[in-house]
Amino acid sequence: MIYLDNAATTPMSEEVVGRVNDAMRDLFANSGTPYKIGLDAKGLIDKSAESIARYLKVPSTHRIIFTSGGTESNNLFIKGLCFPDKKTAFLGLEHPSVTESLAYFSQFANEPLSLLPFQREGRLDLTSLANLKEKRIKLLCLSHVNNELGTVNDPLKIISALAKESPQTKLFLDGVQAIGKLGVVPEMWKGLAGYSVSGHKIHGPKGIGLLVYDSKLVLNPQMHGGKQQFGVRSGTLPLPLIMGLETAIKHAVAKTEHTQNHFQSLCDHLTQGLLALQDRIPELDISFNSLVDADVTRQSPGIVNFSFTPVEGEIILHHLEAKNIFVGLGSACSAQSKKPSKILMGIGLSEEQARCSLRISFSRNNTIEEIDQFLEAFGDAYQSLYPTFSQKAGHR
Amino acid sequence: MTERKTVLIRYDEIGLKGRNRKYFEKCLLKNIKRALSGSDDIHYTSPRGRIFLDIPSSFAPECSTRLKAIPGVASFSIGVSMGTDFDEIAALGVQWIEPKLEPVESLKFCVKTRRSEKSFPKTSPEVNFEVGSRIMTALSPRGLTVNIKEAEYVLEIEIGRTETVVFDNREPGLCGLPVGSSGNVLCLLSGGIDSPVSAYMMACRGCRVHFVFFDNQPFLGRGGYDKVLRLAKKINHFQTRGTLYVVPFEEMQGAIRDHCNEENRIVLYRRMMYRIAEEIANRHGSIALITGEALGQVASQTLENLAAVSCVTPLSVFRPLIGMNKESIITRAKEIGTYEVSIEPQPDCCSVFMPKNPVTRSKIPFLERDEEKIPWEELRDNALAKMEVIKVDDLP
Repeated sequence: MIYLDNAATTPMSEEVVGRVNDAMRDLFANSGTPYKIGLDAKGLIDKSAESIARYLKVPSTHRIIFTSGGTESNNLFIKGLCFPDKKTAFLGLEHPSVTESLAYFSQFANEPLSLLPFQREGRLDLTSLANLKEKRIKLLCLSHVNNELGTVNDPLKIISALAKESPQTKLFLDGVQAIGKLGVVPEMWKGLAGYSVSGHKIHGPKGIGLLVYDSKLVLNPQMHGGKQQFGVRSGTLPLPLIMGLETAIKHAVAKTEHTQNHFQSLCDHLTQGLLALQDRIPELDISFNSLVDADVTRQSPGIVNFSFTPVEGEIILHHLEAKNIFVGLGSACSAQSKKPSKILMGIGLSEEQARCSLRISFSRNNTIEEIDQFLEAFGDAYQSLYPTFSQKAGHR
Repeated sequence: MTERKTVLIRYDEIGLKGRNRKYFEKCLLKNIKRALSGSDDIHYTSPRGRIFLDIPSSFAPECSTRLKAIPGVASFSIGVSMGTDFDEIAALGVQWIEPKLEPVESLKFCVKTRRSEKSFPKTSPEVNFEVGSRIMTALSPRGLTVNIKEAEYVLEIEIGRTETVVFDNREPGLCGLPVGSSGNVLCLLSGGIDSPVSAYMMACRGCRVHFVFFDNQPFLGRGGYDKVLRLAKKINHFQTRGTLYVVPFEEMQGAIRDHCNEENRIVLYRRMMYRIAEEIANRHGSIALITGEALGQVASQTLENLAAVSCVTPLSVFRPLIGMNKESIITRAKEIGTYEVSIEPQPDCCSVFMPKNPVTRSKIPFLERDEEKIPWEELRDNALAKMEVIKVDDLP
């Protein structure tokens, strides 16, 4: 099997599986109980949280909350801070867990401000930030790394521009696609009100994630109950998943530089391979939706998104599936809706270009040989499907 | 509390049958036995017009659930068998009514008797009086009153030749005719909302419904296939012993797409589906085809197009939904539990193969001319040779 949809999810690493497995078997106690096995569990969770803070260089001004994953972290921070009437803004290219959380405010006559007219190459154009001051925006929500394009909103640049243009606006970043792919810059925390992390995108378990947020802020809980985690997020803490997440973050951070280099070589090989295919197959016309750029402050090398009209991405996906090659079609969370990706349309692609696209996303397990096999299978599938689609689109 | 219960099953239209009534009764009894298989401590008797089950009390809730899914059952009651001793019947009535009086100050009740054994010395009203007056003696001080027209509690007594059954509940059944009494039919099942409802309706008319699904893999993924398996299972729950035939349709669709007039595609696909279904029906003993078509719902379901499709087969083609609107179909689908599966967003007809402007009033000679361009008999036989046959009962 060749798995090239790692922005959707990643396989758990052996170390993580081992740690989760051991903890599930041996450490069952509720960390909220007063006897020793409960206290032991609590101790282990505290230790994991401390380790995670250390790996991610989170300062003591910020607090770590364990959640069920990126979607919950995004919901908790956005709704917890801004519901119902605080003014918010976003680029319009974020994951649905951000855009839908913001859209939820609309029913309370609090329409979030879309900065989509100010997107450039899938990133926020910093000249737009003056608008935030004028509109008295309290929170700006962005993806650190875009989940379909891999384009990067550089936190340091945004933070310094915000400080100048709209100092009262706080910044929230969805970091789900960033951890392990981009280095953690400790200075970013100072300007970050909130940041979300997901376990399963970094070879960790599903069902666990983090919200890191400035502890001066008051978040209204979205989940009420036993007041665990400062009352911000109730619910018995899943010790095995937390330990799995800790291990996953440890490896992801430790290997970031290596991962970046590895991804860059896969990414280069893939883009060059696609261009070579284009030369070899006259009817193939590749256009890259992600940036072909080695600067990681602009583009994560972990995601390559490209269009190839007139053949539909979904059909290619199933042809590749038949050869046991798995690739992505926009975001996994919106891939099942029949509408083309909002993100691709948002950066100005036509509906046809958006439909006729694939997202390739790497993990540290992928190899150059796998990219070669993908390229060959993609070329074959494209050639066999082209006559059908060119006829449909009137290309003949 | 007694350890045995008696279930009294009433049937629907079988009661109206003449000389072949026995056949329908036998069919229903067989289906009930099959549905309740797994519990061997059940005794069946079927005096005229009724089926009685003697079951362990603990099995009553499960038995009730299963009986509600058997076509042909009009209603059933779960009660107790006893001798026709008025004191004993009244004592049981008191035992049942007492708890109902606890939370209320008054309760209107009546006794209803039915004698299938007309030689019983008392008439039904006399039995009502004998039992009712005894219960009133015990419970009138606690607020029990007799009210035949507006009774809130009805104690029913059914006096048969060998035994008398006392009960206070009536559960509605699915009505219709017992599955198998009308014969085998083959339903063209898609992943949509309509065809499962039409299959269910025919099962309730006494048909054993088998299913044929036209599969688009690898053009579409396995999602549609998995969905149809689940739908077939849901409908089979009402009948058992259905078979699902999965026919690979991609080659046929490809040939039509590449060689025939684009606007005719949908009608041509359907003509081929009917031809393949006819072959399967003939080979496996189904005597009619069933579809989920409703007049005018989509372009392929105009009067002209329905006629252009039906005429390819001498088999009867039944469309139980033909006069229904979408809302009522959806309501039905929700009732039988297929709706939630049907709306899962799996593509069920490949958009690539969809013409831009499908013909709404097709002309048969034009369709036939199109069909001359492809070796459809050969393609049909190839598809049939590669067909997968699945016993729906065996699905996990």
